[in-house]
Amino acid sequence: MQKNIIINTTADDHRIARLAALAIGLHIAEAIIPSPLPGVKPGIANIVTLYVLYRFDFATAAWVSLLRVFASSLLLGNFLSPTFVLSLAGALSSLFTLALGVKLPRRWFSPISLSILAAFAHIAGQLLVVRLWLIPHTGVAYLLPIFATAALLFGVINGLITTKLLADKRP
Amino acid sequence: MSGWKTCPKPLPGDWIVISAGLLLVVMLFLTLWHGEHAAKLRIRQGDTIYATLSLDQERTLDIHGPLGNTRIVIHQGRARFVSSPCRNQYCVHQGWLSRASQVAICLPNQISLELLGAKKSYDSLNY
Amino acid sequence: MPMNLLLVVFTLLLNGCSHEPLYQSQSYVFGTLVDISIYGESEPRARELANHVQQEFQRLHDSLHAWKEGSDLTRLNAAFAQGETPVPVSPELAQIIQDATTLSTRSNELFNPAIGNLIKLWGFQRDEYSPVNIDADAINALVKQAPRMSGIVIEHGTAYSKNPTVRLDLGGYAKGYALDKAAAYLRQQGVKNALINIGGNIIALGQHGDHPWRVGIQHPRQPGPIAMLDLPDGWAIGTSGDYQRYFELDGKRYCHIIDPRTGYPAQGTQAVTILVPPAANAGTLSDVASKPIFISNAGDKAQAAQMMGITNYMVIDAQGKIFVSAEMRRRLQWPEKIMPKEKHVRLENLP
Repeated sequence: MQKNIIINTTADDHRIARLAALAIGLHIAEAIIPSPLPGVKPGIANIVTLYVLYRFDFATAAWVSLLRVFASSLLLGNFLSPTFVLSLAGALSSLFTLALGVKLPRRWFSPISLSILAAFAHIAGQLLVVRLWLIPHTGVAYLLPIFATAALLFGVINGLITTKLLADKRP
Repeated sequence: MSGWKTCPKPLPGDWIVISAGLLLVVMLFLTLWHGEHAAKLRIRQGDTIYATLSLDQERTLDIHGPLGNTRIVIHQGRARFVSSPCRNQYCVHQGWLSRASQVAICLPNQISLELLGAKKSYDSLNY
Repeated sequence: MPMNLLLVVFTLLLNGCSHEPLYQSQSYVFGTLVDISIYGESEPRARELANHVQQEFQRLHDSLHAWKEGSDLTRLNAAFAQGETPVPVSPELAQIIQDATTLSTRSNELFNPAIGNLIKLWGFQRDEYSPVNIDADAINALVKQAPRMSGIVIEHGTAYSKNPTVRLDLGGYAKGYALDKAAAYLRQQGVKNALINIGGNIIALGQHGDHPWRVGIQHPRQPGPIAMLDLPDGWAIGTSGDYQRYFELDGKRYCHIIDPRTGYPAQGTQAVTILVPPAANAGTLSDVASKPIFISNAGDKAQAAQMMGITNYMVIDAQGKIFVSAEMRRRLQWPEKIMPKEKHVRLENLP
C-alpha cells in the first residue's frame, strides 16, 4: 500500500500558497524579461503583496512576500547570491514600511500611497546593501535619482492596479 | 472583472505622498547630479605628473615633496590631502574633491591634485 | 633655495583623442605655481620659449624678492632704512619703482608697496608663516610714520628714501609685471597663442585653437571654480583673495592684504576679481588694481574700481554675496550648481 504523508493544511495555508504562486510567477516573469535600464524593474509582484495586505492581513502579506523571494531565487538558481540578498533586502525593507503604513487612516490614504512608500523603501533597502556590501563607493549615489524616479512611477502604477483589483468583486 | 474605464482616484493623502515622492526625486537629481562626475585624479609632484589614477578605488598614497611626506587618500570616488608637512595646511583644509575640474594645491610641498572629467572645462584657474 | 628651484617641465596634454598642438609647462616660482601654455608651436620651440620665460621669472623673483638676503630689493630696503644716502639702482628696478609710485598715487595709496615693515610685522614675509602676536603699538607706530612710495627719490641711477620706514614689498606688483614681460617676449618671438598663469594672475595671447582661452575663477571657500569666462587676446585677469595667504587667530581670519590706513589686514571681503583689457601693462594692472578694491569699504568699492580704471570686476563679500559690475556680468558663465546662488549676484552700478 502506498503510504500517504498527510500534512494538515489550513485554508489559510492554501490561500497563502495560491497567492505566493501568483507572486512567484510575476517575479520570475519580470526577472526573465529584460529591462531597458539594468536594475530598474516595475516590481509587479508587489501588487500581490499589497493586495494580500488589504484583503487579508499583514502576516499573510509578509508570508507571501518572503515565500516569493525564497522560492523565486530557488527556481531562478540564485539562492544566496547577491541577487537574492538584494531581493530579500528590498522585500524586508518594504514589508517594514507596509507594517507602519497600514496604520495610516484609510479615509485619506489608499493603496497608492502604500505602494509608493513600499517602492521607495524597496530601493532604499537594496541600495543600502549595494552601498555597504557590493559597491562601496559613491558611484551608486549617482544612480539613485534614476531608481527613485522609477520607484515613484511604478509605485503609482502598481498602487492604481491594486486599488482597481480591490475595488473589483472577488473572482 | 470590471473594465478599466473607471480608474481609481487617488485620495488626498495619496496626493501628499505623490508630491513628497516627486520632491524627493527632484532633490535627488539636484544634489546628486550636479557637476560632472570626475573619473580620474591627476597628482602633480613639483615638475612632473606623479600619477593619473582612477577614483574608482580605495587607496592611500604617500608622496615625497621638498618638505617631506604628503598623504593623499582616494575614497568613495573622491580624493583629498589627508596630511601634509606644510605649516598652514591649506591643502588639507581644502577637503574632499569630488567633481571634475576641482583642484587642491600644496604650494610649500609642491604637490597638486586635480580631478579630471571627460573634458576640461577651462584652460587655467584664476585664484 | 629649495623652494625656488626652477622646475620646468612639460606635459603634452592629450585632450580626448586628438593630439593638440598644446604645450604646457609648470614650475614653482614667486612662491607659487607658474603655468605656461603655448598653442600652435612645435614642441621643441614651445619648450625653448617656455624655458626662457621660466628663467626670466626666476631672475625677476631673485631680484625682486622682498625678504631673501641678497636680492636687489633687500639691498635697497637696507639702504632705505639706513637714511638718506643714495645707492645705485638698476634701470629696471628704477622703472618698476616709478611705475608702482604712479599706481600707488592713483589708488589714493591703498595700493602701497612701501609698507613692507607692516607686512613683515604681520608675519607674511616668510615662506612658511604662522599666527603672530598682534603688536598693536608697533602697528600704530608704523601707520603714523606713514611709509609711502612718494618718500622714495630716484635720480641719476640712484635711489634713497626720505622716510626710513619705507620698506618695499612688491608682492602685489611683481607677478603682474612678470606677466607683461613674458607676454611681450612671446609676442616678440612671434608666438600667437599662449596663456600664462602666475599664481592665479593670468594673461592671454591669441586663443586656444578655434575658441578663446577659458579661465575658471576660484571659489574663495570651495575647491573648484565659482564662475568661468573667456579671456580674449591681450586681456589679463587677477584676483585678490583672503584665502591665498592668511592665518587664523581666535577664530578670526587675517589675510595678507594689509590696509595701509589701519595697518591691519583688510576685512569684509573674500575676493575681488578684475579683468583688464589689452594694454602694455595689462598684467601689472591685473595684479595691482584688485588691491584698492579689496581694501576699500563695501560702499567705496565701485569708486575704487573707477579710480583704477577698472570696469570689469567681481566682489565677493565676507558673507559670500557676489557683486558683479554690469560689464563683467556679461562675460561670466556660472556653473549651474553654483547658481542657485545667482540670486546673490547683484549688479553694482558705477557712480
